[in-house]
Amino acid sequence: MDSSQLFTFATIAYLVAMVLYISYLAFRIEGIGKAASFITYAGLAMQTIALGMRWVESYQMGIGRVPLSNLYESLVFFTWSTVLIYVIVEWKYKTRAFGAFVLPVAFLALAFINFAGISTEISPLVPALKSNWLFYHVLISFLGYAAFGVAFAVSMVFLLLDMEDRGPARDLGIGMAVIAVLAPVGYAMAAAGERMKLVFWMGLGVLILAWFLYLVTRGARNKPQVYLFWTFCVTLAIGLMVAMGFDIVYLNLTHSLQPGDSMKQHLFEASFLSKSLINVIIAWGLIAGLFWIVWSKGMSLKRILKQYVPAQDLLDDVTYRMIAIGWPLLTGGIITGAVWANSAWGTYWSWDPKETWSLITWFVYAIYLHSRYVRGWKGTQMAVISAVGFLAVIFTYLGVNLVLSGLHSYGGMN
Amino acid sequence: MENKDQQGIVEVAADKIWKFFSSVKLAVVLLIILAVVSVIGTVIQQNQAPADYLKEYSQGTIELFETLGFFDLYHTWWFVLILLLFTANLTICTLERFPIAWKVMRAPLKTIDEDGYKAAPFKKELMVKGGMEKTELAALKALQGRRYSHLVSKEQGATHLASQKGAYSRMGVYITHVSIILIFTGALTGAFFGFKGFLNLPEGEASSVVYLRNEPLWDKIMDGFGISKSPVIRDPRGGGVPALPMGFYVKCDDFEVDYYQNAGRPTGMPSEFWSLLSVYDMQQQKILNKRIRVNDPLSHHGITFYQSSYGTIPNSTGRILLNVKLKNDPGPGEMVVVDPGSSVYVPSIDRTIKALGIGPFGMRDPATGKVQFYESRNEELINPAVELEVLRGRTGPPVYRTQVMKVDSADPLMPEQYVIKYVDYWGARYTGLQVTKDPGVWIVYTGFILLCVGPVIAFFGSHRKIWVRIQDRKGQTAVLVGGSSNRNRMAFEREFNSIVEDIAK
Repeated sequence: MDSSQLFTFATIAYLVAMVLYISYLAFRIEGIGKAASFITYAGLAMQTIALGMRWVESYQMGIGRVPLSNLYESLVFFTWSTVLIYVIVEWKYKTRAFGAFVLPVAFLALAFINFAGISTEISPLVPALKSNWLFYHVLISFLGYAAFGVAFAVSMVFLLLDMEDRGPARDLGIGMAVIAVLAPVGYAMAAAGERMKLVFWMGLGVLILAWFLYLVTRGARNKPQVYLFWTFCVTLAIGLMVAMGFDIVYLNLTHSLQPGDSMKQHLFEASFLSKSLINVIIAWGLIAGLFWIVWSKGMSLKRILKQYVPAQDLLDDVTYRMIAIGWPLLTGGIITGAVWANSAWGTYWSWDPKETWSLITWFVYAIYLHSRYVRGWKGTQMAVISAVGFLAVIFTYLGVNLVLSGLHSYGGMN
Repeated sequence: MENKDQQGIVEVAADKIWKFFSSVKLAVVLLIILAVVSVIGTVIQQNQAPADYLKEYSQGTIELFETLGFFDLYHTWWFVLILLLFTANLTICTLERFPIAWKVMRAPLKTIDEDGYKAAPFKKELMVKGGMEKTELAALKALQGRRYSHLVSKEQGATHLASQKGAYSRMGVYITHVSIILIFTGALTGAFFGFKGFLNLPEGEASSVVYLRNEPLWDKIMDGFGISKSPVIRDPRGGGVPALPMGFYVKCDDFEVDYYQNAGRPTGMPSEFWSLLSVYDMQQQKILNKRIRVNDPLSHHGITFYQSSYGTIPNSTGRILLNVKLKNDPGPGEMVVVDPGSSVYVPSIDRTIKALGIGPFGMRDPATGKVQFYESRNEELINPAVELEVLRGRTGPPVYRTQVMKVDSADPLMPEQYVIKYVDYWGARYTGLQVTKDPGVWIVYTGFILLCVGPVIAFFGSHRKIWVRIQDRKGQTAVLVGGSSNRNRMAFEREFNSIVEDIAK
């Protein structure tokens, strides 16, 4: 048996565990919950062994390096650390309520790798990556990302439980209308050249920032807005994952990935940036549908969740705990990266987009911690900041790799 | 006491400035500004060649961005100013709060009275059997078992216990803040007294100057004020790139690249590249040498040389190094140097070796034994292959032709009693060195270490206090337990409850 078979078994285990955790939420049968936990442990154990085997395999191939250096391996490691942290939380807080949220993330990430075939080859490393710091840097950063991921999931549950109702349908209408206006404007401006595209992204950034600031400062008094934000985050998380899955499947079916090409040059080509106008419209239609479903079904989900989560205070505390674990890890990740860069190039900080985005993420969580400690904020506002922090994490991890450095290479819409 | 009105304008202003900088709100606002402004520099590519910007932006946009400093955003005066404000804010916040925290941390244990218990965030009253002595022992055991330090005092028929642990955790936040201040200080020290430069050294050449990307700010300022002359040389013949004399020579003796192999044949992907560097003092005396690789630099007099890149020097020829060895000779053989296109007589075998030509990327087909030449970008010497002709004696008739190369998939044709091997093609490549001097890096690293420690102490430690009062009440023992924690209240609540349980047993 080789490592890839074990990875497949682990993926299946997470799929079964995901179904069991969701049925546990729906039927509240203790036995189902126990089975879900057991299968999760088994999947984690298999994945751990598989990671170790892959390490050994790389030595047998004469390359000999830590299995943490391409997109495939980092996704595998990301799921591994997410599940590990989840298992610890489950054991420590004696609640299985989060499993239904964490396991799907782990399963989807692994499923994309296994079924859609991100290159699983153990490829050799360029000289600059041959450093012991690589291992510590990636390990620490990913553990941090995973902790923030759990914090995000728990914040989402918190925000949902915090809502009394979903607010007037008018808010949903306004939200969708804003997107319906912005999306075509974005496409038009992107087509009009690099400069207009930049203006659009900057403008959009300012709008989103203003919204975040409003939510953080006034959100506690405007629950329907927070619910809209919740809908936005959930839709974005699901939509991003599904769209990327489509990309991977599409690129493999059409074999349009040339050797030496990377995913980042083709992000969203199967959906939002497809050459076919129909695909683009379908993609946005699906997103609109998802947005609506999430918005209208949120309250039903809340009723189910309510039975399992004992106290909202606990959720707030778990979020804080996860960030209190994640922030020092992120700090460690940045520091090990800096020390490594200094040993390789003689400069510990060079403001490249990835470094800068990790620093931005660090700032956001620093704001979270200071708001909590010094200003004594709790609850809704904190959950919103935690969500914003995780959006920055996603951008650091995927956006910078897949979008930013390629921002100048998209040939517009033509 | 001094009246407010009698304070000078300076004191009032200083007071106001201090108040302004000691606010955490300012810290949060600065963090938001830093986060937002940093985004701009990730969206607009930094420090590109003007031609690359022209491809993307119009002339007007470029002028606007240049005025705002968006093409080198993180080094503009206003970005540095925000960082300095942030540091000032952090320093003053720390100075303002540290003495209080220090006092609280060092404060001796004190028992508390009735009001103290009333004010405690956690409290529990219970009646236990077993008498005061036994209860006191139980309480002490419960507290000691959880590593609380304690103090006992007895008065008016009551026993008072005061205990605490984790007082040190109050320092975590200050360690974190100080570490960030250290990192900024180190970065500034580096910018003022250090430099970043580069040096492209062809094999066999030496240099006593390094070309600068960033000049030491201190030298620049001193030169600007006319206090001392900057040692930097600006030679218009060198394209005006500022050059800094190092006070010693560095020489590239050799440079080599290894490539990953696939089925015994090199791919174009480098696995490792390295330079053999020697350092000479100004009197040309050799001081030291070292083989540097990526991730393994050479340091001398505070200046560090990092292996960064390499290239083939355009329109240049190097020298071919060959090894000639008799087939039954166990020794190392004989080194032979020949220039491409010329020939050399080797007395030991009485043959003349003529190098007909060299290709940067040759590979032998193991099946046919034929050598094929491939394109390589910028004439990169991926697998140099040399075409040789061997002649009898000094000028005699040709005996045979063969090809030798760096990595060969089969044995080359060697029909006579000796073997010719390829050793090196020397002098046609340069090594690209990143050269830096950063006297601030140790300050930064100290900051890094503290930054790893500080948050862990701050988040996972908490200053916990527990007080216990044991009284005799009509033959029964009344116990009052109070507790407080500055952090992690949920975890403390669990501990508090289990301590109460232990006392009640």
